[in-house]
Amino acid sequence: MRCATTAMGTRFELVIADDRPERFRGAAEAALEVVEGCHTRFSRFLPESLVSHLARIPAGTAVRLDRETFGLFEDAVAVWQGSGGAFDITGGTGAMDAIRLDARRRTVALERPGLVLDLGAIAKGHAVDLAAGILRDAGVASAFVHGGTSSAVAMGPRVWQVSLDDREVIGLQNTALGVSRTGHETPHPTLDPAMWRPLEVARYVAVTGPSARFCDAWATAAVVLGMRPPGMPDGYEVRSPLTAHRSLLTPCPAAAAS
Amino acid sequence: MSSRRRFLIQAAGSLAGAALVPELAAMGPRTLSAPAKVGLVGCGRQGRAIAEELAKIAGAELAAVCDTNPARLRTTTERLAGAEGFADHRTLLERRADVSAIVVATPTHLHRQIVEDVLAAGRHVYCESPLAHTLEDARAMAAAAAGAKTAAMAGFQARSNPLYQRARPLLRTDAVRDLISLQGQWHRKTSWRFPPPAGMPEPQANWRLDPAVSLGLPGEVGAQQLDVFVWLRNRMPTRIEGRGAIRHHDDGRTVADTVRLAVTWDDRLVLDYEASLGTSYGGAYEVLHGSSGTVKLAWSHGWLFKEADAPTQGWEVYATRQQFHQDEGIILVADATKLAAQGQLARGIGLPYSSLYYALGDFLKSATEGSPVACTMTDGLKATALGILANQAMTQGTPITIPADL
Repeated sequence: MRCATTAMGTRFELVIADDRPERFRGAAEAALEVVEGCHTRFSRFLPESLVSHLARIPAGTAVRLDRETFGLFEDAVAVWQGSGGAFDITGGTGAMDAIRLDARRRTVALERPGLVLDLGAIAKGHAVDLAAGILRDAGVASAFVHGGTSSAVAMGPRVWQVSLDDREVIGLQNTALGVSRTGHETPHPTLDPAMWRPLEVARYVAVTGPSARFCDAWATAAVVLGMRPPGMPDGYEVRSPLTAHRSLLTPCPAAAAS
Repeated sequence: MSSRRRFLIQAAGSLAGAALVPELAAMGPRTLSAPAKVGLVGCGRQGRAIAEELAKIAGAELAAVCDTNPARLRTTTERLAGAEGFADHRTLLERRADVSAIVVATPTHLHRQIVEDVLAAGRHVYCESPLAHTLEDARAMAAAAAGAKTAAMAGFQARSNPLYQRARPLLRTDAVRDLISLQGQWHRKTSWRFPPPAGMPEPQANWRLDPAVSLGLPGEVGAQQLDVFVWLRNRMPTRIEGRGAIRHHDDGRTVADTVRLAVTWDDRLVLDYEASLGTSYGGAYEVLHGSSGTVKLAWSHGWLFKEADAPTQGWEVYATRQQFHQDEGIILVADATKLAAQGQLARGIGLPYSSLYYALGDFLKSATEGSPVACTMTDGLKATALGILANQAMTQGTPITIPADL
């Protein structure tokens, strides 16, 4: 059974492999609803999003977050630190240190007025993780969840074949995937934090590991650095060459099951 | 900017301003004049949405949550730091005297007892729409609110929505003139069948599919939009007809997944309303066709479509426009006066917060400042009654005359 929705400027799809997939339709809809909720919460283009709210309220105002959203901010800061600043969610302003997290109260505050966060390099993976979690909680044993061309989770023992570009196909089994690429032709090019301008070298990186949002973020850091980020933890692997790459990611994920 | 243009914009803003949103603060973030500790009863999907909006209201603290399902309660208290969990709303009221305001987001048929208990305990209460699944319950809730000294607000959100507040006076001007017809729609592709939390039987979790307690699409969804037309017109309709069918989710359910209503007023104006779980096309909106112009409202956005022979209002001269096939829509903007004066009308397109956010903000303002609620429980009773009667008309297949003494 396949279900899909449009969010974060791309198409999210989940494929449930089961003898009686219809019994999971409710779970699939709930998973897609969570994806849509992430879009509403994290889009910097939506005036009603949390990101827009944080930019609108006076600097330093703490906003209480739920556990999952606070975790997303914590992870973003962790990857920023672990990548030496290569991963950054402040939209090229270099203002990561203006993000104040209070773990005890579970709040976030932005100390710079008008700072608009750009969670585009981690939110899709976050949404895919949450959607996969809902399917797991509902008892789905085998499924593939992906967000457009950049994030995916393969659930269960089945190997899901994914085409990373027009030449390379990898099998995903019980793991997550995040891809990132550079190029001026993209609508929102990856920025080089050292220069605050789009990276000029063409790179393409895929990272696999337990969490799609970490894969998403570490792939962005790797594509900026042109190497495996020094702080990338064990359990995460760079699965494609970091050298210049001509072709772009081919969205095949509809994931032919092997 | 030339002085002539600035004058025109300011004059336009003045013209519109008297009729539109008078305060700049209407659209922006809500800040309470005094801190308020809030309790949430019902931690399902709507409860989660409410918690998220409360977090954006400065001064509001979600201090307690309540749910009868232990697994869902545990998950909720783990998700929301600082909120104490209760399995029963009476215990919450007894043990947390510091929680002054309660938001009720349980299934519709469980609202009455909770609302009555909250009011009896001397707390403020916000109840999600529709108020109840029977007229008897809805009347009892309105009566309890009438006798209470605390704020009691029904969650019919259009009344708090700055865009809808801006549109309401338009109906009394030449911008719309004589109303010709009304149209409403709610489309969303979903089965209404969600996975239950651990320990909860599936029918209990999916109570909207149980005809014994559910008001179906006419009540659970339609009441919210029927109230829009009642509030905008400031008069109740007199007759409801309805039809329903299962067009897409043929999974053994008996509650229709697609419904059509015809609602008539005493001046023979008719509202055609459709709701469906089988298609998402067009989403949710309300349309008021007038002889001079048509207003279309879609909760976060609104437009005015002028007839060629309509008089110029003035304020629309510098408004932003959007093309819809052969029609040009003038985008309605809340806070137009201030934004026009600043030359920033375009920034006002699309509300920065959800209708739920504004409704909760209004409720907490009433709770902390003693100001009148945006939607009284009596107003909520009328809107709920429309939903109940619409569902009856649909399931019975016969038109229903709406009693004048609701």
